Amino acid sequence: MAQELERSALARKLTKPFSGLMATTYRWVDERLGVTDLVHQLLYEAVPRRGAWAYSLGSATLIIIVLQIVSGMFLLWTYVPSTTEAWESLNFIEHHDEFAAIVRGMHLWGAYVLFVVIGMHMLRTFVSGSYKKPRELNWITGVVLFLLVLGLGITGSMLPWDQAAYWTATVVTHIVSYFPLFGTQIEEILRGGPQMGPDTLTRFFAIHIWLLPALLVPMIGLHLILLRRHGEHGSWVNYEGVEEETEAERSRRMAEAEAPYPAIPSDPGYAVPVDLDEFFPSQVFKDALVSFALVLLIFVMAVVVGAPLERAANPAALNYVPTPEWFFLPLDQLLVQFPQAWMIPVGVFVVPGIGTTLLMMVPFLDRTPGREPWRRPEVMVPGLFAVLFLLFEAMLAVGRLFNL
Amino acid sequence: MPLLASVTPQLTPVPVSTGVATALVGLLMLTHIQFAAWQQGGYIILAVSDFVGWKRKSERYDRFSKGLVTALGATFAVGGSLAIFAIMILFLGLWSHFYVDLQRVMFWPFVAEAVAFVGEIICLYPLYARWDRLGKVRGLRIGLEILLFINAELQMLLINIVASYMLTPRPANDLPAILMNPTEIPLEIHRFVGNIAWAGAIIALTAGIRLLLKSGRRPDVRPYLDWMGHYGLIWAIGFTIAQPLVGWEYAKEIQLHAYASWYDMMLGGLSVAFLIQVFLLGTIFTVGIFYLWRRVRASGFRSPALAVCTVLSFGAWMLISTPSSLAWSYEDVFRANANVPIWQGGLLIPWGAMIPWKLTALVAFTGVTIVALTIYLKYVSRGKLRWGDAGRGQAVSLITVGVAISLIMALMGFIRENSRGPFLITNHMLINQQQNFSPPSSSGPALQGPASNIGFSVILPVEPHP
Repeated sequence: MAQELERSALARKLTKPFSGLMATTYRWVDERLGVTDLVHQLLYEAVPRRGAWAYSLGSATLIIIVLQIVSGMFLLWTYVPSTTEAWESLNFIEHHDEFAAIVRGMHLWGAYVLFVVIGMHMLRTFVSGSYKKPRELNWITGVVLFLLVLGLGITGSMLPWDQAAYWTATVVTHIVSYFPLFGTQIEEILRGGPQMGPDTLTRFFAIHIWLLPALLVPMIGLHLILLRRHGEHGSWVNYEGVEEETEAERSRRMAEAEAPYPAIPSDPGYAVPVDLDEFFPSQVFKDALVSFALVLLIFVMAVVVGAPLERAANPAALNYVPTPEWFFLPLDQLLVQFPQAWMIPVGVFVVPGIGTTLLMMVPFLDRTPGREPWRRPEVMVPGLFAVLFLLFEAMLAVGRLFNL
Repeated sequence: MPLLASVTPQLTPVPVSTGVATALVGLLMLTHIQFAAWQQGGYIILAVSDFVGWKRKSERYDRFSKGLVTALGATFAVGGSLAIFAIMILFLGLWSHFYVDLQRVMFWPFVAEAVAFVGEIICLYPLYARWDRLGKVRGLRIGLEILLFINAELQMLLINIVASYMLTPRPANDLPAILMNPTEIPLEIHRFVGNIAWAGAIIALTAGIRLLLKSGRRPDVRPYLDWMGHYGLIWAIGFTIAQPLVGWEYAKEIQLHAYASWYDMMLGGLSVAFLIQVFLLGTIFTVGIFYLWRRVRASGFRSPALAVCTVLSFGAWMLISTPSSLAWSYEDVFRANANVPIWQGGLLIPWGAMIPWKLTALVAFTGVTIVALTIYLKYVSRGKLRWGDAGRGQAVSLITVGVAISLIMALMGFIRENSRGPFLITNHMLINQQQNFSPPSSSGPALQGPASNIGFSVILPVEPHP
């Protein structure tokens, strides 16, 4: 009953700005498509009050992915995915189309900011133990999304077909050839033949704009559905004191909770946060503010710094030394640490493969009872060292590449 | 700067032998480094401890933070004076040639260093003098602590640029190349983790000594000292875990960019000192893990896993301390096959051309210590350890780790500085040029200040190591 009243109030709120024919049209559409119900479902949900700023990073990630899709669509109006015209088309953008140059800059800086925001989002989820039962699949889909975004990053960096793109593509496709047993075949599939050529660019273009987005979008949908199903866990501070509360206090908290709480009450203390708030307008406001700040940052970087475009690809320039994008620096350093040809698969496939598997398995490896980070040293200590390791590797790579 | 330029030609070194000058400078700088590293590492421990005390409303952390800031304030006065004394008296008096030339090349880093030093004073003094009053605005106090840490970090970064430049110099007129010289970033990481470990070790050492004293047996003091020792040790070995990887990377960059120094350290005259160095590294890990095992035992829990970790670490300690050969010359190395890859019947393996069992030991230290630390913290986080249970053995272990880290820092400084020998700046400036240097008769363009950036105008070209 209360929900029906809330729905009617929302319907009135939504139609308020309209009058006459517009209101009639809205009602006509609403009766057929259930717009009010949909908006109600999307906006009216209980979320944890504490730690709200910390989990605005998830919404920011989504907004930046949308920005990437939109800016990518704009770039497609001019970009030509052929080895003879790709660089020319981007050169035209950079020197003759100021709007498109900003869009290109936003696409690049959007990708950079996206990596940072995803990293922070994952770190927050890890530290707060949000991946614990029943949210294991949220974590796994999140890791898959992260890998897909990495894939988009590397394939996107090859599309300008300038010196950096060409030689990066050469190195990356060659690294793949070290994959045990099928390495050469995979290399030829990616290159479209034994050598780099027109097919290489076409294939990376197809992977970047079709294959990976086709996997990314449904995975985002699944991630969001799971989020709605189990509710936000947010930060461990949402559950501060649950270990000390009495059975009566716990029962009252559970009874007063709004949907989607309680999440599967496998762990009663953590099924409902101690303090709840409305998603709309409270959380939406915070999400919007953070997302707006990030989009503004992306825009400013696009205008001030822009996106680089080196000289057109020259396969004869064998003295050119490609440098990887910054988010691949740890991997690049790892590759250097396994210098012999027979060791490269260890550095490129085995170590990152084990790392990724462990990352994905975190919810199942973490058998600790609580959510507070200092009560989970079994995962926090190795996790901290893994993050430090990646940071150190990236720093060492910067020093090495500078002194080449 | 023009003033400095005008007085430079008149500077005459104090007439002492090269050996005496080197010993004096070395002694003072090694002492200064111990103070500076403690300050830099101590500030981050202070900020973290105060923050945790605030958020967890822990009296123990609050008490510790207050004690730490008092100690840091007092040692800053001594360490800062040592630094100024080193610059004013020893460098200008004994190595004025080196110092003035370095000043020209590193003018802006030195200016930034001085600014950061003033910033450190501005942040530290209110914390030292008004700790309790600032406690009423806890956020501000923690903000000051973070600023303090940033200032100290900046100073370390700038002095690391100087130190790494001396080992792997770049053209004097190329500031970006000087700032990012090949050994700068590895040294930066190496010292960052090392300083925190060192500060943790001093805390553990202090707690260990006090636990052995009569006053440390009082029931109102002992639990706190026990906790303080454990806390310091966690920082000490927790950050030393990174050193095998970081140190290996650092050595690799030295091998690539200053081969003669690398050769001296690994295979030449300094290899014995380096062997002692890795022995001390093994001491830190093994005694540290032994402490974790016995500390858990002192509270009544048997942990076979920690016992296994101790044994494994002991094995790695023995492995890394085993010399491959006492190679005093290239011929010795050649005879020991230390320069031949393993697949050709020699001793080298691809990872930085290392001896296999030494690499195994380094990997083992890192892996075993992460596991041991995790197991130990599991006991702590579940509230199973009773503070005050630590016995004499644990106190001695804390002292041993503290002393070992102190020695390893001093020895590392000795090895690094001597590996450049006979140079002060690799391939550019000799140590013995300091005492028999004759200044040019006129100032000339090279002495007009940092803008000229010519540098080394008075430095004789010197042949590199054979």
